[in-house]
Amino acid sequence: MVDGRGLVSEGRRLVWRNQRALWWLFAANLLLAALGAEPLAVKLAGVTDHSMAAQRLSQGFALTTLVELVSRPGFGFSSDALNSIFYNVIFFVFAVFVTGGILEGFRSSRKLSTAQFFEACGHYFWRWVRQVLLFSAAMALVLGVGSGIYSWSDTLSSDAAAEKLGFWVMVGGSALTLLLAMIARLWFDMAQVQIVATDQRSVVRSVGQAFRLMSSNFKTLFFMYLRISLIGWTALLLGLWVWIRFIPATRSMLSFLVLELALLAWLATRLWQRASETAWYQRYEAANPPVAPLMMDAPLVYPLAAPEPTGNVLAVEDVKQEMPVLRLEDSQPS
Amino acid sequence: MSYPRVSSIAATVVAAVLVVPFNSMQLAGAAAPAKAVVSRPLTSPPSAIPVTTSAINAPQPLSQRVVHYEMDAKLDAKKMSLDATEVLTYHNFTGRPQDTFPFHLYLNAFQPKSTFVAEARRDHEIDSDFDWEKKTASGEVKSLEVDGMGDLTKQIQFIAPDDGNAADRTVFQVKLPRPVLPGEEVKFRISFHDQFGEVVARTGYKRDFLLGGQWFPKVGVWWKDAWNCHQFHETTEFFADFGVFDVKLTVPQNEIIGASGIEVASTNHPDGTKTVEFHGDDIHDFAWTVQPDYRVFTDTFQSSTGPVTMRLLMQPGHADQAARHMKILRQSMQRFDDWYGPYPYKQITFVDPPHGGLEAGGMEYPTFITGETQWWMPDGLHLVESVVEHEFGHQYWYGMVATNEFEEAWMDEGINQYTEAKVMDDVFGRDRSMVDLWGVTAGELGWDRVGYTVVPDRDPITRFAYKYMSFNTYGAITYWKTATVLSTLEKLIGQETMRRALRVYFTKYRFTHPSAEDFLKTVEEVSGQNLRWYFDQAVYGTQVLDYEIMKASSERTDWFGKNLPDEKKNVTVYHTEVTVHRKGDFIFPVDVLVRFDNGETAHERWDGRDRWIRYSYDKKAKVLSAEIDADHAVGMDKDEFNNSYLSRGDETGRHKLVHYWIALQQFAGQLLAWFA
Repeated sequence: MVDGRGLVSEGRRLVWRNQRALWWLFAANLLLAALGAEPLAVKLAGVTDHSMAAQRLSQGFALTTLVELVSRPGFGFSSDALNSIFYNVIFFVFAVFVTGGILEGFRSSRKLSTAQFFEACGHYFWRWVRQVLLFSAAMALVLGVGSGIYSWSDTLSSDAAAEKLGFWVMVGGSALTLLLAMIARLWFDMAQVQIVATDQRSVVRSVGQAFRLMSSNFKTLFFMYLRISLIGWTALLLGLWVWIRFIPATRSMLSFLVLELALLAWLATRLWQRASETAWYQRYEAANPPVAPLMMDAPLVYPLAAPEPTGNVLAVEDVKQEMPVLRLEDSQPS
Repeated sequence: MSYPRVSSIAATVVAAVLVVPFNSMQLAGAAAPAKAVVSRPLTSPPSAIPVTTSAINAPQPLSQRVVHYEMDAKLDAKKMSLDATEVLTYHNFTGRPQDTFPFHLYLNAFQPKSTFVAEARRDHEIDSDFDWEKKTASGEVKSLEVDGMGDLTKQIQFIAPDDGNAADRTVFQVKLPRPVLPGEEVKFRISFHDQFGEVVARTGYKRDFLLGGQWFPKVGVWWKDAWNCHQFHETTEFFADFGVFDVKLTVPQNEIIGASGIEVASTNHPDGTKTVEFHGDDIHDFAWTVQPDYRVFTDTFQSSTGPVTMRLLMQPGHADQAARHMKILRQSMQRFDDWYGPYPYKQITFVDPPHGGLEAGGMEYPTFITGETQWWMPDGLHLVESVVEHEFGHQYWYGMVATNEFEEAWMDEGINQYTEAKVMDDVFGRDRSMVDLWGVTAGELGWDRVGYTVVPDRDPITRFAYKYMSFNTYGAITYWKTATVLSTLEKLIGQETMRRALRVYFTKYRFTHPSAEDFLKTVEEVSGQNLRWYFDQAVYGTQVLDYEIMKASSERTDWFGKNLPDEKKNVTVYHTEVTVHRKGDFIFPVDVLVRFDNGETAHERWDGRDRWIRYSYDKKAKVLSAEIDADHAVGMDKDEFNNSYLSRGDETGRHKLVHYWIALQQFAGQLLAWFA
């Protein structure tokens, strides 16, 4: 049984130690979003920069002015949305890419160099691609459940005698969908952690092993995951509340700063979850060291022709300790 | 068509000379007295149409009572069907003998091959998922007799005067064996059966809620020398004559019932039903509703003609919103009373349809309106208030002025949309009358304007309701463009004059079915201005109004010299040019305000006729900004963003929007990365 105490704190410590990854990730998130917004900025400049009508957006937030702006012929947000989606996909690919380096960084007792970080990223990248496909299949099932419940709630909203029944079914369904999604995410997170820990090449096998691992330690793992999620959502909602409640409409830079802090906190909690999962797996490894496979050139436990044992017999445990387990960090010169 | 009898003409003239103006509620500021009632010819037998006033705060009838409906209906609450008899007394005020009478049978619109459904399908309002089993409705005439002429059931003939659709059964006509002479009355005795469907387009049931609208055979209107009895279309509403309604509704005893008019009696029967009688004076339609568990709220409004009972029938889940509904109803009634004239009826009934039945919501019938709300409606979202106000406003433009909603829908919906904005702005503030929530604001007139600018040139306001390009253009033009046209008109003639014009229009034309020119001429008379140039473009045309500041710049006058001294404020002389351009084809006079950096301003007024105009100034100051319509009163200008120019650009608005967009995309990106 793995001791689950202090995992959240340990995860936080790991994120702090590897905060470079967080900043890189956040910088990429911000930069790509800004690139995605560039065409919109250019379009807006021609319309709003010299128009006093735009003051109704900068000095307050007049909804009708915004609607009029986006209704202008040739202005529509659809082309901007497509552009932004493109950059979001790039960010997604980047996030897939850096996952290996991040997890390796969490596992390592020392800070990885930049070269080590990116080598780890490349080493695991295609395994993540395969895993994303599997995860998407799992999420399709989860979203299917959610979609069915939503459709049912829609019917209830119209036909049920109690007006709020449809709403509560939607809330319950959303909670259930979220729960299933979180479990699925945790499951695949553990598969990723395990892949990095054991350099497992078979993604399907690691997914299966991770499922067993998660099932047998569900309470510890899930509540660790949930607690960190709650922190993330709280940070996000707090940021939104501060933005709506306290920041005047004219202070757009301050609003942006508050929103960025909220988004940074949200991103940090995602890394925090990864770090805590890694910390848990390290404890699991310590409590359940792996059985070393027999190697052809390993010394025999029992000599074939020995008439009687001598003092040179090695216990299995001794063999395991003498067998080096290949780690990426050890393969590099210190 | 035979000539009217001489005696009838003489009697009509004598009556017109002798009769006292029927409207005893003459108000200060009215430019002309109300139209006199033409009473029945002196040589005819006494009218069977009652001269009752029990349902109105007036000592005598308010309208020329053409019809008297006496109906006795029994509801089968399990089958949601109804069997009824109708005795219709029709007084021939047409001035001609009439032997053919058309009737509306609106419930037949809810059948697969009707004109209504064909049009709704064209506009994708009805698709192949439409549940016909539940939503089919019908109105069937079982028998039709005419006093003194016998059973004419077999003479019933369905017609389709608008589109020739033989499958559409929303209009029938019956030819009498002999004509009804001018001034005479004819009595129709009709028995009919209604089958209601699940609520579609204002009528029907949902669970144990039922709204009975357009449920009885209703005679057409003789208007502009012809019968006016259109089929039911996707975009049309209703048009009928004024009269008296006496309606008995027999329903299960556990039902709570609401209806047009006032309740005059209620009798319980041993079989578990009850008969509730209603009476309405000077109304042209009758609607009703039943539901066992309405929550009933009542209050009284003191109008300038007497007390008015406000009766709210709320859903149990919305009982906590009753105070909010009552408040806006009272606020609307007070403003209409102050601005346009009194509400003369003794009661107004408000109905809150249930969830799933909101197609019965947002509708008006004489003295009976329906709202639209949901359990989650926050205070800062003024949808509740705008619907209540809008439907009450219809009591004036639809209920009393009673224009032809088939052919001139804008005169009800559009004028009402405008007065809705005026009332809501007065109650909540101009830029917050629609939304004032979480820092986001929106005003009614702004919303109307935006709605109009999406389809500014598709259809003229005056197009027949069922001839618009689509349901969407009908809504945008009839409601939003008309409201915007009227708010821009207000800019031309002034708010007080506009209010006075509406007051005069209402008091002069209520109960008379006026048409477009009656309204437009009233505005011209009250304002003392020839506004034909405006009406020809805004009302009858599709021209688009769009003016822009093309250029506003300053250059030092000594630009050509060498070794120029540095520019100094209040020393260096600048030549400023401001160019205004008419982009659209709507000609409208515009005000231009030019501001300089030394605090000076220049006010210009341009008639807008030419394509552009250039203003030049030589001053010791540079131009700061130039703005067309600085008061933002010309709502019809399609594009507000090009109405102004800041010489020193202000990027704040752009940055704000771009920042929000970036944050949103970051959020979306992180959400997507969760799959990584």
